[in-house]
Amino acid sequence: MENAQSPVLQISGLSGGYSAKRPVLHGIDLEVGRGEMVGLIGLNGAGKSTTMKHILGLMTPQQGEVRVMGKKRDEDAQIYQSAMAFVPESPELYDEMTVMEHLEFTARAYNVSEADFKQRTEKLLQLFRMNEKSTSLSTHLSKGMRQKVMIMCAFVAGPPLYIIDEPFLGLDPLGIRSLLDFMLEMKASGSSILLSSHILSTIENYCDRFIVLHRGQVISQGTLNELRLQFGESDATLEHMFYSLVQGRD
Amino acid sequence: MDLKLLWKQRRTGFWNGILPYLGYVIQSGVAMVFLFLVIAFSAWYTSFVQNIPAEFPIRWIALLLLAPLVLFSSYRTYLLPADIVFLRPQEYRMQEYLKNSFARGIIYKSLGLLLVFVTLWPLYVRADLDARPFGWFIVFLLLWKGLSSYGAWQELRMVQVGASRGYRLLRWALAVLAVGAWLWQPPQRSVWFLLLLAVVYIVALRIPVKHRVAWERLIQVEQGQAGRVMRTLGWFVDVPSSGQKVSSRRWLSKWGSGLPWNAGKAYRYLITKTFIRTEVFSIVLRLVVLGMLLSWWTAGSYFGVGVYLFFLLLAGVQLGALRRSHSESFWIMIYPISGESRRSQVLGFIFHLHALAALLMWLPMLAAGASGLTVTGVALILGILVIVIMRRSQGNKWLKEEEDE
Repeated sequence: MENAQSPVLQISGLSGGYSAKRPVLHGIDLEVGRGEMVGLIGLNGAGKSTTMKHILGLMTPQQGEVRVMGKKRDEDAQIYQSAMAFVPESPELYDEMTVMEHLEFTARAYNVSEADFKQRTEKLLQLFRMNEKSTSLSTHLSKGMRQKVMIMCAFVAGPPLYIIDEPFLGLDPLGIRSLLDFMLEMKASGSSILLSSHILSTIENYCDRFIVLHRGQVISQGTLNELRLQFGESDATLEHMFYSLVQGRD
Repeated sequence: MDLKLLWKQRRTGFWNGILPYLGYVIQSGVAMVFLFLVIAFSAWYTSFVQNIPAEFPIRWIALLLLAPLVLFSSYRTYLLPADIVFLRPQEYRMQEYLKNSFARGIIYKSLGLLLVFVTLWPLYVRADLDARPFGWFIVFLLLWKGLSSYGAWQELRMVQVGASRGYRLLRWALAVLAVGAWLWQPPQRSVWFLLLLAVVYIVALRIPVKHRVAWERLIQVEQGQAGRVMRTLGWFVDVPSSGQKVSSRRWLSKWGSGLPWNAGKAYRYLITKTFIRTEVFSIVLRLVVLGMLLSWWTAGSYFGVGVYLFFLLLAGVQLGALRRSHSESFWIMIYPISGESRRSQVLGFIFHLHALAALLMWLPMLAAGASGLTVTGVALILGILVIVIMRRSQGNKWLKEEEDE
């Protein structure tokens, strides 16, 4: 049963991958609480994207389970999918729609009211400086702009949970700042965010907790201070700790 | 690197990927329908050629049939997005690669043009008292086809998109003008006029700034061509979806915005935008306009009913392509849109458009007046039947595919 204290995302004993014989993930346990921003970090191939695909329902767990708002996907796919929005690493847009039409399609799909849609869109277009491009087809946008559209679509949906995979790729410095500020705003309003990024120095000061994945396993997790305690250096940077953690295991 | 060999390998690779599907296309009954249509057309045409009505507008018919085939040009280059990185260093040698595309683009379309011309000839030579000689007609068609194809190739190389569009319009206008001049003007006068036109056009083609190899444009065009082949196959068999040409069509951009604001209509919104911006719209529009003209021309006859139903069927097949538009879309798997909602929204949208097309193509039949009322009524009833049957067939097909998955 779901209650105010239960985590928005709960993964227990998750093992899975593309082949049953060679799973990529090995017994992952993690949680994202309400109003929490959690950084999922790891090397290429550590299993970050595979974990996200399991959360999104694009892959089925071989063992374990994924719950969003207390529900598994096979219990009620509609509620499960409505509870989260995703920002992929590479922008995936419909060639035949403009920026504004992408936002409208997303708002309609997530049952956002027309008034909320208009209010959120106005704010997001201004924040990401996309007003002038709002009527452009997605094929006429640069990579960074396409990424901004992805981010705006996720935020216009306004679900309780955001799954964000490498959002900074292709964004200009102002775009990165706008995104980080907006994520903080979402967090303050009670939304939860699972964020994957390689730019550790950027997310170090924004995430509440960090989960370190290595070869499909969680090798460490906690707040920045908890990680420092585990590491034994009170002023160690996230990058330094991460480097030492994974180096020691290769 | 042997660029000629690379082109051949890519061409073979593409068509080897298509061949396995052709068996399914034949099994789907299209071969039988095609054969039936050829036999029916041959019988009607033979009879028509022997009883050509007085004042038959043969020159207009010839212009309508031949000019589009003279001006239509397209090229398969088999270029890939990665070629910008890996083939670009060979740019100075790319003529070796591209000349195959250019040559084949002309040869196959010229054969198609000749086939239509040879079919038209018995009608033309009987209906036009001042018919042009057979041999000279072919020479004219091939020369202008060659010139038009060369122009289309140069358009692909132009740096400015606006210039390319302008020259395309010029090429179309010149082709219509040339065929018209050849059909209507005395031979000696038309030959001098055509020569002058050709020289001016060739000189004009030298003016715009051009790329040596317009990589991005050629790759974009190639993706559109490959996508078109796959979509044609998609009418008969489930094939992987491929990128298709998208046009902005701002004048239609409001279509879909008035849909009721609820999650149930979200997919309808997407499919509406897909329809107005992709080639399905332009193909259906052309079919409906042509269908309306032919319905008006053949109003009151049962042959006209056949033509009407044939165009209705074609429009239905084209609209049916929308069913597969986003079947493998990433966001459809992520967004909270149920399979049932998608099915009902797409089929409903196709049904409404098909019904509108049926009505638009039927209305000109009323020109037959009271004397053709029975035939017009039969056309209406059969038209409704076609729409309903196609709606059911698409629904059943969708459910069957879902069960198979």
